Amino acid sequence: MKYLAKKIITLIMTLFLVSVAAFVAFQIIPGDVVTSILGTEATPEREEQLREELGLNDPPVKRYVSWVGDVLKGDLGVSYRYSKNMNEMMPVTELIGDKLPVTLWLAAIAVILIIVAAIPLGVFWAKSKSHAMDAFMGVFTQAAMAIPSFFLGIIVTYLFGIVFKVFAPGGYVSYQDNFPGFLGYLFFPALSVAIPKIAMTARFLRNSMLTEMKADYVRTAYSKGCSDRRVMYGHVLRNAMMPVITFLGMIIAEIVAGSIVVEQVFGLPGIGRLLISSISTRDFPVVEILILYITFVVIFVYFLVDILYRVIDPRISNR
Amino acid sequence: MIKIENLSVAFDGAEVVKNVNLEIADGEILGVVGESGSGKSVTALTLMGLVSKEAAVTSGRIFYDDVVLASAGRPRDMALYRAYQGSRMSMVFQEPMTSLNPTKRVGGQVEEMLRLHASDLTGEQRKERVLETFLKVGLKDAKRVYDSYPHQLSGGMRQRAMIAMAVILHPGLVVADEPTTALDVSVQNQIIALLREINKEQKNSMLFITHDLNLARRLCHRVAVMKDGRVVESGNVEEIFESPKEAYTKRLIEAVPSRIKKEEKAKQRNVTAEGVKAEENILEVKDLNVFYKEGSNSLFSGKKKKPVVSEASFIMKRGETLGLVGESGCGKTSLSKAILGINKDIEGSVIHYSTRPQMIFQDPYSSLNPSKTIGWLLQEPLRVQSLADKTKAMTDKDREAAAYDMLHRVGMEDKYFYRRPSQLSGGQRQRISIGQALITRPGFVIADEPVSALDVTIQAQIMELMRSFQEEMKLSFLFISHDINVVYQMSDRIMVMKEGRIVEIGATKEVFDNPKEEYTRQLLREA
Repeated sequence: MKYLAKKIITLIMTLFLVSVAAFVAFQIIPGDVVTSILGTEATPEREEQLREELGLNDPPVKRYVSWVGDVLKGDLGVSYRYSKNMNEMMPVTELIGDKLPVTLWLAAIAVILIIVAAIPLGVFWAKSKSHAMDAFMGVFTQAAMAIPSFFLGIIVTYLFGIVFKVFAPGGYVSYQDNFPGFLGYLFFPALSVAIPKIAMTARFLRNSMLTEMKADYVRTAYSKGCSDRRVMYGHVLRNAMMPVITFLGMIIAEIVAGSIVVEQVFGLPGIGRLLISSISTRDFPVVEILILYITFVVIFVYFLVDILYRVIDPRISNR
Repeated sequence: MIKIENLSVAFDGAEVVKNVNLEIADGEILGVVGESGSGKSVTALTLMGLVSKEAAVTSGRIFYDDVVLASAGRPRDMALYRAYQGSRMSMVFQEPMTSLNPTKRVGGQVEEMLRLHASDLTGEQRKERVLETFLKVGLKDAKRVYDSYPHQLSGGMRQRAMIAMAVILHPGLVVADEPTTALDVSVQNQIIALLREINKEQKNSMLFITHDLNLARRLCHRVAVMKDGRVVESGNVEEIFESPKEAYTKRLIEAVPSRIKKEEKAKQRNVTAEGVKAEENILEVKDLNVFYKEGSNSLFSGKKKKPVVSEASFIMKRGETLGLVGESGCGKTSLSKAILGINKDIEGSVIHYSTRPQMIFQDPYSSLNPSKTIGWLLQEPLRVQSLADKTKAMTDKDREAAAYDMLHRVGMEDKYFYRRPSQLSGGQRQRISIGQALITRPGFVIADEPVSALDVTIQAQIMELMRSFQEEMKLSFLFISHDINVVYQMSDRIMVMKEGRIVEIGATKEVFDNPKEEYTRQLLREA
């Protein structure tokens, strides 16, 4: 319980600091939302009027405090830039709520692909006794790691979209319309996110297993008459997973926070694209919430890693 | 019966075991005694089929009763070995902490033996059998041990669990490779007694591997002495001890620190319980309490303070050696860290009358920076000293000369100056550690188990080296060890610690002949 309370306090403090940092950054970067809405041709009177309307003329501290107050009350504010229709402003909640599932599902599929592919691959590699196989896996994973994901995205689109015609490039299916179709479309972007990470994780797991294979308890297991297989799966894998889990946590956080490139390549309306466009239009309420969201996800993933660690290694909870 | 016939084992063409012949009769305990690198462990691991894949049997055969387990020129038959490993032969290793899987419960790990070799038992029966065996090896709280992870048990309990694992199936052969080396003396004795008991009850053959001749003498029926991969002498235990034939065996027996030998070269010093007479104080410790902070480094929860040393008071004189003994966890290391000022969470006073006290550490393998040369390592204390005290600044040339000088004085040649620690043996590394500690000419040095990681013959050399430095430089040593006999040889006075308190302090002979405290008597009995 104490552990949980500690984690929550840390989370709140981090979110607070990040929101301040983002706010300050917005004060410092040149250009503001008024120019981006009205264009450079607008009269100074019109600009001044809009500034007053958006509350941009208040002192920064006052603006920050009132924004925090609203957020704490559950009101995330409205976007400066987007509107529902001619008369209604677009609430940030609605704007993000629309795009969030796209990014989350993309990340989820990628993570599942990584776990499903990397663990057997890493174990297989650690077990492989022939030099040729070892060298092949080395080159193969090195290549997969070196390819940037946007280029991989292009290859995947070409191969599966144009050559094999498994999916229609650019033919994004909204999840509200057709959920299975949506997942089917996301599979390929997720694949191009996952491939380099699969290679990294497999390599990492393999190294971790080879280190563990030298541990004393492995010799003990053999002395009991365990087969190679039993030693591998019954004893080594669990211990070798410890560092891999930390590594996976970092990768997952990276995927969730960094889906921008792939969303761009595959034309996905996710939060990555929204973040880019909101920054360039200086849409402060949207950017601030997106940054807080990303921070939250990253911390949450690390929290899960911590929990998983305690489950796998009984020594940790005693420390 | 186990028979090892003319066995040679090579790694990359280099033979580490050479034409070894050993026989273990049913119910017999054979001790194989030797120093590190003598090939005793490789012999045992080859017998068990556990030696690493790079090793090749280049000559000879291994018999288990009438079955040939291994034979030169034949690839290792893993399937055959698997039928013997666990069920007919099993092994107890040196380090019970790392030899048990840290992420699995102890009960499950022992039960795996039954899962593998007694598949006709139900889960219920298996558990019952494990609990029974735990009780037999002296794990009274069997149910708790069954559900514990290795780190939740003490070293002795872990080794008992390992032994339970090894004997649960009543194998014909139990190989024990230094099973007591990582344990405290009192626990050591219990484990030896347990092995003897099991041997009596189950009538298994045992191969007991050790560097410690005394241990072999207490447990084994017969002993084989190994050196450089060969068996140099073997025979009945008492015969070997009473009339060793080989020069090496004699040396080994002589090198073992014992009390009688000290009498022969007894230091002609006037020692009383307060220390060497007519000498000035070099260290005064008064009402010292040392604390250990418990709990996480959290922002919110305050740290709990736990005293690890309570009300320690003693003085040390110039040129004397004060031996500090006690079991692990008694506060020896905490006390020495507090004296050196490494641990700052203390109450009471520590007064030094010498400058720059130094420390020699136990493990010469990990306490020297592996990426530096020996010359650099020897000069480092001088460099640090000149940073702290400008009056002691030296030119590069002088410093190098001082390092060469120290290298000679610790008994090593010039050629080692540009080598790195990994290229030295354990004894050579410990010489360098001593050189590092003494190059700034301190008056007071703490030696924390300086010879525990070394072979007996090397131990004797290092102790001699320390003694000669002491005479020359009028050094004071606080000599920490768990080995009573080593302390006896080195010390003018002895201080006994238990649970953070100094329970007895006095002149060495006095304490040994006439221990005042029950705890001291117990320690002496066990040694």
